[in-house]
Amino acid sequence: MKKEFPVFILGLAAAFVVPLIFLILVPYLQLSNADPEVYSEEDDVPTAWAYPSVWTGANKEGEHVYASLGCAYCHTQMVRPTYAGADMWRKGWGGNEEDGLARETRAADYSNDRRAMLGYMRIGQDLANVGARQRDRAWYHAKLYNARIQNVDSNMPSYKNLYRKQQIAQPSANAIKLEGRFAVEEGYEVVPTEKAEALVDYLLSRKMDAPLPGKNEEEEVAAK
Amino acid sequence: MSETMQQASAQDIQERAAIDQSARLPVLFFFTSAAGWLFLATLLGFASSLKLAAPELWDACPWLAYGQLFPAHMDSLIYGWGMQAGFGVMIWLMARLCRVEVKNGVTLVAAGMVWNLTVLFGVVAVWSGYGNSMPWLDFPAYLWPAMFLSYAVIAGTLMMMFRRRREGEAYISQKYIFAAALWFPWIFITANLILNHVGGSAVMNAGVNVWFMSNLIYFWFVPVGLASAYYIIPKIVGRPIYSYQLAQIAFWALAVLAGWTGFNRFLGGPFPSWMPAISGAAILLMLLPIGAVAVNFLGTLSGRGRLMHYSPSLRFTVFGGIMFNVYGLLVAFSSYFDVSRLLQFSYATLGYDIMIIYGFFSMVVFGAIYFIVPRITGCEWPSAKLIRFHFWYSSYGIITIVAFMIFAGLAQGGAIDDWSGDFMDSVRRGKGYVVALAVAWALISVANLAFYYQLLMMAFGFGRKSEGPTLIHKNPGEAASAEEAAGFATEETAKA
Repeated sequence: MKKEFPVFILGLAAAFVVPLIFLILVPYLQLSNADPEVYSEEDDVPTAWAYPSVWTGANKEGEHVYASLGCAYCHTQMVRPTYAGADMWRKGWGGNEEDGLARETRAADYSNDRRAMLGYMRIGQDLANVGARQRDRAWYHAKLYNARIQNVDSNMPSYKNLYRKQQIAQPSANAIKLEGRFAVEEGYEVVPTEKAEALVDYLLSRKMDAPLPGKNEEEEVAAK
Repeated sequence: MSETMQQASAQDIQERAAIDQSARLPVLFFFTSAAGWLFLATLLGFASSLKLAAPELWDACPWLAYGQLFPAHMDSLIYGWGMQAGFGVMIWLMARLCRVEVKNGVTLVAAGMVWNLTVLFGVVAVWSGYGNSMPWLDFPAYLWPAMFLSYAVIAGTLMMMFRRRREGEAYISQKYIFAAALWFPWIFITANLILNHVGGSAVMNAGVNVWFMSNLIYFWFVPVGLASAYYIIPKIVGRPIYSYQLAQIAFWALAVLAGWTGFNRFLGGPFPSWMPAISGAAILLMLLPIGAVAVNFLGTLSGRGRLMHYSPSLRFTVFGGIMFNVYGLLVAFSSYFDVSRLLQFSYATLGYDIMIIYGFFSMVVFGAIYFIVPRITGCEWPSAKLIRFHFWYSSYGIITIVAFMIFAGLAQGGAIDDWSGDFMDSVRRGKGYVVALAVAWALISVANLAFYYQLLMMAFGFGRKSEGPTLIHKNPGEAASAEEAAGFATEETAKA
């Protein structure tokens, strides 16, 4: 076997290197060049939907908060095409459904993220288009503070550490409305910290439903 | 595998004793620290599943949110227990099969300490909210070089032992160990460089993550587990493996297919669609080597299954082997569109991961530990009852987890797939199963406490001083080997 040793090593290396090149490195280089498409007015796409959605520093901080809390262990950000699941038919998941343009998520949808938080399990809702279906910041804050406020059966953790309980001097505009068993002592209010605001910014940016010009044309042709 | 078949000469016995003695320090170090991690990991598993069932429990403490408990649980299970216990098995098996002594025991222990400290730091970081939501690669970016260095020392030692080996043709277990030692750094470096340092494509970051998870299973956990099983089964049954050629073919088939797997976790994901497709195909073809392994093990065992009744090592190893086959079938089945649309992001994902890491790998490693530790400490396991307890509680626990997570997956995934229904239906339907998950982790924790206690007794020299090995259903000294206990008074399977 002494003579066979180099062959053995070569075999092991080949078993590893071939998939590494074709499954990881080549797609990696290709997808890295997939810059977001910037639509012009000629494309007939409303600018509000066009790539790239505007990113601020808060979104980046928000992605970091999202990741560090382990949100991706229970929430996916991946809408599957119809051959692989019924995701885009569920109300709100595929986005843009009033116009009949709900769609699956594509690689370019994530091009502003540092890492695509595609997810591990779907214990909670898919969040790929959560920013399209819910624009109210107060809704997000209440949900993060304690999800049972909105939904008795929710099993989402409470992120009370993202919120600060303080004495009311001047009632804050962004204080969370807490009633019943969630209420805090008289004279106190619960307000979001910067981390909570950053996380909500990030969640509001989850809107992966920009219409695809090419696809629209196809559908129009089919309609005729 | 001549070692099992020939009568061991006095010189052989002396040589083996010298090898065992040289391996004692590093191997015991890895086993005992791994067992400690295992106990912590199972407790974290219990706590995390309890939190799914009762989300408001202790919710003033941010460390106890599911999103932090769960990754801390998986990371301590994989890096604290799994890989470390694997190192111990690899070192001992490599030394024995190559017939060389372990020369650098102290260096290995030092490397092991670095590994332990790094993993400890990483788990605490993830647990306290400095993770990054990348399953199995959660640790802060600056930790991986330390883990890599520590691993390099261990893998380098294994490779040097392989080069110094005395016998010509390498046995299949040696090949698996050598291959696993060599493959891990590649996947680990690739994944960490792309995730933490190169950046670039956001989508491929997620892709590299699942590719790493799958490769860690097929390029590391499976080879190490199989190396152990290919040693333990023939050794205890007392005959060579059924077909060595089949074992070779299965080895190369696994090697060729493993690297292509992974993207099947993101079937329908934002990748070029050939990528999940090719991973799904690789997972299907993987049934060939898995089936070949099954044929080989069954052939070796045929007619001698009764040995499992007595030998703790064989019992754990065979249970692991069965789990490996069931895992292969289930994962292949789940890469069909009709099944994956239900199970892809459901509790079944969790069930499968636990199945391969715990049901297969850990059970096989328990078998190896029950075999190795008496040989390096020179004393026997204190209690056969506790071994039996460990086996039954672990196997009931793991079967409960796998079965309940698959049913939970069907219920939960089915509710999500019913796109016009309320999403909360999926949460409500999953709730009962999650309670079962918590109960199962509690069972496994108790079982591992028994294991940890016995292992520490052995490590500190409080084992049973006796001629006969500890066998289940037999009193100490009643039988000299599992073969004798089972009534197969055939060739001498020397107490090696």
